[in-house]
Amino acid sequence: MKVSQNWLQTFFTAPLPDVQALSDALTFHAFEIEGIEQVRHPMSNFVLDVKVTPNRGHDCLSHRGIAKEISAILNTPMKNDPLCASISLGPTYSDISLYIEDGNLCRRYVAGYICGVKVGPSPDWLRENLEAIGQRSINNIVDAANFVMFNLGQPLHAFDASKLASKSEQSTVNSQQFLIHVRNAKKGEKITTLDDKEYALSESMLVIADGNSGKAIGIAGVKGGKTAEVSEATTDIIIESANFDGVSVRKTAQALKLRTDASQRFEQGISPELAGYGMRAVTDLILKVAGGEIIGFVDEYPTPQTAQQISVSVSQANRILGTSLGEKDIADAFTRLGLPYKSREATPRGIFEVAVPFERLDLAIPEDLMEEIARIVGYDKIPSAELPPFSKKPEINPNFYAEERAREELIQKGYSEVFTSVFAEKGEREVLNKVGGEKPFLRANLTDGLEQALEKNVRNKDLLGLKEVKLFEIGTVWNSKKEEIVVGRIGEKEKATQTPLSRFKMDTSASGYENLPLSATERYRPFSKYPFIVRDIALWVPSGTESAQVLDVISAQASNLVVRSELFDTFSSGGGSALGGKKKTRISYAFRLVLQSFEKTLTDEEANLVMEKVYKKVKKRGWEPR
Amino acid sequence: METKTTRGHIHPISSLIREANRTFFDMGFTLVEGPLLESEWYNFDALNVPKDHPSRDMQDTFFLETQINAEHSQIDADKNTPALLRTHTSPVQVRYMETQIKKGIKPPYRVIVPGKVFRNEATDMGHEAEFFQIEGLAVGEDVTLANLKGTLARFFHELFSASSKGGSSSGGKGGSAPGGGATSVEVRFRPSFFPFTEPSVEADMRVVGGHVPEKLRGKWMEMGGAGMVHPNVLENVGVDSGKYQGFAFGFGIDRLAMLKWGIDDIRLMHSADLRFVNQF
Repeated sequence: MKVSQNWLQTFFTAPLPDVQALSDALTFHAFEIEGIEQVRHPMSNFVLDVKVTPNRGHDCLSHRGIAKEISAILNTPMKNDPLCASISLGPTYSDISLYIEDGNLCRRYVAGYICGVKVGPSPDWLRENLEAIGQRSINNIVDAANFVMFNLGQPLHAFDASKLASKSEQSTVNSQQFLIHVRNAKKGEKITTLDDKEYALSESMLVIADGNSGKAIGIAGVKGGKTAEVSEATTDIIIESANFDGVSVRKTAQALKLRTDASQRFEQGISPELAGYGMRAVTDLILKVAGGEIIGFVDEYPTPQTAQQISVSVSQANRILGTSLGEKDIADAFTRLGLPYKSREATPRGIFEVAVPFERLDLAIPEDLMEEIARIVGYDKIPSAELPPFSKKPEINPNFYAEERAREELIQKGYSEVFTSVFAEKGEREVLNKVGGEKPFLRANLTDGLEQALEKNVRNKDLLGLKEVKLFEIGTVWNSKKEEIVVGRIGEKEKATQTPLSRFKMDTSASGYENLPLSATERYRPFSKYPFIVRDIALWVPSGTESAQVLDVISAQASNLVVRSELFDTFSSGGGSALGGKKKTRISYAFRLVLQSFEKTLTDEEANLVMEKVYKKVKKRGWEPR
Repeated sequence: METKTTRGHIHPISSLIREANRTFFDMGFTLVEGPLLESEWYNFDALNVPKDHPSRDMQDTFFLETQINAEHSQIDADKNTPALLRTHTSPVQVRYMETQIKKGIKPPYRVIVPGKVFRNEATDMGHEAEFFQIEGLAVGEDVTLANLKGTLARFFHELFSASSKGGSSSGGKGGSAPGGGATSVEVRFRPSFFPFTEPSVEADMRVVGGHVPEKLRGKWMEMGGAGMVHPNVLENVGVDSGKYQGFAFGFGIDRLAMLKWGIDDIRLMHSADLRFVNQF
């Protein structure tokens, strides 16, 4: 979620620290920061991209939620916490009738009626706040609703009241003017949303409908409909602040491929209490930015959220965290987080009875509170302690033992280990939703993959300096309706075969794993992806000349293009009959050079040029190319 | 000239698993394995990942055509029907503890689970659809978050700062011996969220000292997720969460290998390319 520093500041009297300090505070005590963006116009501001974890979507997909975190972490009081204020929604407006079909899918619906608003552009402060977090300003009514959502986390929607069918047109005495139904969509029902897209709804989806006309005017918790859109001509509005079931909204948004800021918040599950705060805040804001008069509210909230209490003791917390925190440390963490607990006089020593604030739906068990303590105290305060010696002897896993045995046997025989993909073009089991859709099957054997791998590697034989490419893989295959680990191998001189791992038996008398060698390599070196060229050079040098010395001279001429060199032939000869023939005076060395560039594909001409330089140099040294 | 067969090369992932197993075996951990084709129950539900909740989105899953076994009740079928490629090694925690309880063996438990896992996402230098994880689980009456820190510190220390293991055996890789100097490994936690741990943390590691590749020296590296096993997970497998508690962690082995050897592209692991493998 995008969080504006200037917006956060509105919750505090004392100036907040710089953005880096804010970012660190959140990183080490609350959430990962995925990015920081600087906004220069119209005023300097920073926007943090906060990765709110799924357990905190209830309260932290809002500036107020992040401000609360900052307040706890930095131990800076909030100027005002809007969710701690006591609010009232009055007067009651009896001309709106609400009907909720299924109270499990809509736990609360608050409607507010405002008359005489003047729709127009938003004031600068409102527009700038929304634009800073990447929202487009639409008009003062829509912006007010969006602002409150990003401020408190409660999604809101405004309908143009004049576009709803009213009963008064039929002049029925005493009947209520507006009927709002929260119901499942009807078979074949369609809706055109605010962005002019038409969606075909299914019966499992929840809609807001105009009870008088019977038409859907919004997809509950996802998006509003075009029918009752607020426009410049709008004067009377009905505001919706509701609580929809997270699972239902999630399924609908997924099915329609329509994820919105509203659906994202409902999906997490939010407190129905929040609907009241959202309504109060948005109506107050609308009066401020668009004028008008509140006519009244209706609030359908049959089963209010019950207050939760969780107890945690000091010793319990220390037992899990491995700390030696005192009562004071814990009290401090709870106070900073705004988690009210019963005074120590009222509870047994060392026990904290916490009254969970309504918006913190993530707090349910003592461990949840321990996490709150740990992150506010700071994870750096958790000591590092090795486990005590184990009372049992660890078991040897026969499968892994066999894998290790197989691995070592094959490596000893010169096979190198590869992993190929489990995905294949054919097989018994198919993956239904593979990204890209290629190779959707699970492999039935290792041999197909090994054959491909062999072919690929044979091309690089010279580069690798191998006489023969030999590969093996220990991996899972799906065959004959079962999952099985097999050992596959292939070589240039042998066909690909695979054997069940069970062929490699474990020593039943083994008391531990065999002490097999680890890779001794310290660093991997990237290799060139370009093709290479092989050139051989053979030359006579005086006896006593080391091959390494010759190679040094050669390499120095090849401008780092020699990626591999191998001495593949050596022989000595006498200096000819004139010298008696017995004493060996010169040696012939033959080298195979592999030339390759990191930047491009080498051409034959380039390789020739390199070799010419080499020949020139060795001749200069008095060596004689053969 | 020489007739002796030269040794082939071990895949870096296998070497790393071998080394990890050695370290953890010494600390009393048993290596266990589990199937790659998993049921939704073991991969998600038993791990306290609710259905139709955003926390399932944290892992992009490969789903398979399911085969409902009519002989079992629906719940049993759901529990055992392979329905997906496991997205993490954590289902093996559940399978292991469940099996132990069925055998009448109560905690303490200490296990590690190295193995392949799958994520249905586009691949690039840092992401693969199939990769390896190592899971660790320690359950007992007094296993703490501090023990998690200590255990990880020891593991990372053995992996990243143990002294040079001697000469290089691989082709053309003259090991440039870095300067000496004491090395030490620090572990730090950051808050995080996983449905199967509470508290949940993200573990970072930093290697300091002379004997450290420059890319790693002094820098904090993200290693993976960890935390204290959620009581619901313990209860789901029949372990009394009032009496027992424990830690769990899950790290990407590919990532550990990339850090250890300075490998720049995760896709090399499954490339079956000896230009890569033969360096190890």
